[in-house]
Amino acid sequence: MGIAQDITQQPIIYRVVDLVKEYRMGEVTVAALRGITLDVREGEFLVILGHSGSGKSTLLNIMGGLDTPTSGQVFYCDQELTGYTERQLTEYRRHHIGFVFQFYNLMPSLTARENVEMATEISEHPLDPAEALGLVGLQSREDHFPSQLSGGEQQRVAIARAVAKGPHILLCDEPTGALDVATGKIVLQVLADVNVRTRTTLVVITHNAVIGELADRVVRMQDGHVVEIKVNAARKNVDQVEW
Amino acid sequence: MISPLTKKTLRTLYRNRGQVLAVAAVVLCGTACYIALSSCHRNLMLTRDTYYAENRFADFEIQLERAPESVLFRVQEIPGVRQVRGRITEEVKLEAPGLDEAKTGRIVSMPETRRSVINNVVLTQGRYFDTGAVNEVILSERFAQANGLGIGESLYATIDGRKHTLKIVGLGASPEYVYIIRSMTSLVPEPERFAILWVPEKFAEDAKNMQAACNNIVGTLDDPESAERVLDAAADLLKPYGVYAKTSREHQVSNRFISDEIKGLGVQARVLPTIFLGVAALVIFIVLNRMVRNERTQIGLLKAYGHGNLTIALHYMQYALAQSLIGAAGGFIVGQWLASGMIRLYVRFYTFPILRARMYPDVLVESMGIAVFFSLLGAVLAAYRAARIHPAESMRPGAPQRGRRTFFERYPALWRRLSFTWKMIVRNVSRNGFRAGLNVFVVMISTAQLIVGFYAIDAITYVIDFQYKMTQRQDATVSLFFERGKDALLETARLPHVREVEPLLQYPFEMRNGWHKKDAVIVGMSREGNLQRLLDTEDRPVDVGESGLVLSSALARSLHVGAGDEVELKPLMGKVTKEKRVPVSRVVEQYFGMSGYMNIEALSRVLDEPYTMNAVLVRTDRGTASSLHDEVKDVPVVASVELREDALKNLQDTLATSMRIMGVTSIVFAGVIAFSIIYNVTMVSLGERERELASLRVLGFTQREVGAILFNENFLTGALGVLLGIPAGMAMVWGMMHAFDMELFRFPFYIAPRTYVISTALTVTFIVFANLAVRWKINRLDMVETLKSRD
Repeated sequence: MGIAQDITQQPIIYRVVDLVKEYRMGEVTVAALRGITLDVREGEFLVILGHSGSGKSTLLNIMGGLDTPTSGQVFYCDQELTGYTERQLTEYRRHHIGFVFQFYNLMPSLTARENVEMATEISEHPLDPAEALGLVGLQSREDHFPSQLSGGEQQRVAIARAVAKGPHILLCDEPTGALDVATGKIVLQVLADVNVRTRTTLVVITHNAVIGELADRVVRMQDGHVVEIKVNAARKNVDQVEW
Repeated sequence: MISPLTKKTLRTLYRNRGQVLAVAAVVLCGTACYIALSSCHRNLMLTRDTYYAENRFADFEIQLERAPESVLFRVQEIPGVRQVRGRITEEVKLEAPGLDEAKTGRIVSMPETRRSVINNVVLTQGRYFDTGAVNEVILSERFAQANGLGIGESLYATIDGRKHTLKIVGLGASPEYVYIIRSMTSLVPEPERFAILWVPEKFAEDAKNMQAACNNIVGTLDDPESAERVLDAAADLLKPYGVYAKTSREHQVSNRFISDEIKGLGVQARVLPTIFLGVAALVIFIVLNRMVRNERTQIGLLKAYGHGNLTIALHYMQYALAQSLIGAAGGFIVGQWLASGMIRLYVRFYTFPILRARMYPDVLVESMGIAVFFSLLGAVLAAYRAARIHPAESMRPGAPQRGRRTFFERYPALWRRLSFTWKMIVRNVSRNGFRAGLNVFVVMISTAQLIVGFYAIDAITYVIDFQYKMTQRQDATVSLFFERGKDALLETARLPHVREVEPLLQYPFEMRNGWHKKDAVIVGMSREGNLQRLLDTEDRPVDVGESGLVLSSALARSLHVGAGDEVELKPLMGKVTKEKRVPVSRVVEQYFGMSGYMNIEALSRVLDEPYTMNAVLVRTDRGTASSLHDEVKDVPVVASVELREDALKNLQDTLATSMRIMGVTSIVFAGVIAFSIIYNVTMVSLGERERELASLRVLGFTQREVGAILFNENFLTGALGVLLGIPAGMAMVWGMMHAFDMELFRFPFYIAPRTYVISTALTVTFIVFANLAVRWKINRLDMVETLKSRD
């Protein structure tokens, strides 16, 4: 399809250099990241693959400005995130990042549309909430509360919420982890569509190797190290994979 | 060995220490209140009863013109009478080298040699009279102290126009003068301004020319219940000797004031702790309920391991119990401290030479008991729910929170304008109605409590203003020993610096309408008077008219008369015994109880005089009123000069402390309740929505924006609470006003606009404080941790 070639030509949006994260758990120090170096290019679909405990979530959290590293640096568009204050990190998340989580984290007291509006209210260049819901195919359910939606639908609302802010990057932590295969596929399709249509950089972490086949590149992590970076010659379509 | 479950309780208590302390603070206030008020109630009762018993406070008292001592034997024979004593009492004018002005006082005759008599005097300093000494006096201690008079110094007492020298040999107090006031219109006791002089019988007999006679009879009874019957019988018997007044102990002025106060304390000792502990029970209910829901899985696990339902229930009761015990322990200390402070205040306000303050173990036990009772009451439902959890079910996640449409959404135009923050708040309030309701309720109580607290201050200030700025506008009142004609007015007008004078005639009468009787003072005032005005409670001037009698509504009620009816007047002083019938021309609402008013000329005619007065009201050049003291010092007919400045200052000094205490107490009470509940409810809410709020932080919402979701909810419920609290406060004031609608005094329904503003501002401050206390927790929301997994 030729996308892979284009990706390597794209400017670098994230530069991760020698990133180390250690947690002190009582007497012992546990290293979650042991020196990660990685570039993310604008517009690419990157999958970070790893088992539980490989450090992939920690990496995502630091990239998303939720957590700070023990040492090493993260540059976002040549700005050093690792030097940001709490307030600057909040600003950064607010205007540049869209998050999608395994457990959706929608506001139970707001309807689907209101959940999306909540995000657009604080953004500088928001999408129209209806458009965002259209993107995930949920216009018809916009007045439903989360408790009235299925898991897959809730996740799609979460994606719409993330996308509606008009972020530069979508960071997704096991977005299909709580869903059955069929629903998971729909959600991945939505994410891939968003990536293509809005040119939003998409980073997905998962333990499911199959999902890697949908991406431009796959970073495999193990024990806090990057063990392999694989560039897919061509991205597969969701209906071409099975798990 | 501490059981693991107890350890869990201890750790949970420690982890939630902020909330635990907030609940404990409410319990502390409740128990401290109970201990302080109950102890003070009992101490005051004990002090009063001991004082009365040790000094043989009379069961009845009869004031008469003059009776031979022989008649005492016949009073003694009335069935039920245990013992009687005849005395001579008289109002006197007092001067002393140390006094810069003449004061008034009352002489009370005592036996020449010291023995235990009815209404005995307690010597606090000095000695009793020397045998055979005549011109010796035991002076009321508070008066001596306040006026710099000591043992060995001399006093000059003017009795029936003659000046006598008395040497102070002792200082003392007596059970009949615990609450020392000059007249029933005094708002506070005035032990520093009104002297009691206990003198040897011989002195009083000579001064009043009453050898082997008396004008006051006091006595004790076998059964205090028989007072009214005995008094009626005695009054019949003593008719020829001119009975002015007969009073049972129950109606004795000093005793009446103290007993009312004690009764009030008893009521407060029950009401205030109930409010506090009831509120504590509600918070415990909410906190524990949430805790049980949070710990479902743990509870299921414990049960799966074989813990019984009772163990589980007790585990949660234990948590509630621990909080109330912490509070009660603090309450013990604070309560004791308050109790000792309070009783000292009381002893200073009243005149008790003795103080019986004890620690009451049973009060401590009771306070502990009610604290435990209320906390368990709050815990029992949550504990029951915990016990009912099914182990297998508990392992499955609870049903997801439901979103729900609210009433406001029926108005989409309005709803769409709301920011999502307010949408969340509105839906959350409607979802957790009980909790939001509790917040509203508590803010309402807090606001109302503040209004009531400040109302007491407003009312007193208002009445003082009413009395001294609107009704009595004279700078000084010159009281005379005898009734005098117009010449008194002219002579006073001639004194230097006097700009305006007005006559006043105050005379006690027995008023009668059929079988309804009442002793009261009728005030004769000049119709075109400018200094002393008669006003009703709407501040409207009332014209006394040419001849009719104007009655205060309280007096009219007690006599069962209205405008147009007639009352029979019998003077209670002097030689005039002829009764006259006078028509009632008007009834007016008044703050101060039982008076009648007449045109001074008409009142003079009732006394068979053309024009008479016994006081002259004076307006002077600015700042010169005090010189009146010197001007009239040597005028024998002048009993006293009272300056408005002094009276006002005395009143304000006496009330300042009480008002400050009242204000501070209201603020503390309202603050503790409001803060504790709002803080706890918000913490529970935060605990429940941690994940929701953390995900907002992840989305890029600032700490302030996330905080606003909780805080604005508190401000919303708070606003509602204040809106309800204002009418609730007004209703409570209204209720209080009627509860205290006594014969002698009546509270105005006056709440200063300032009170509403301050009460609202304070309540908002409490909410802000509660929000600030929650804020640190919001600032530490762990985004990574909360998002990792579900529950």
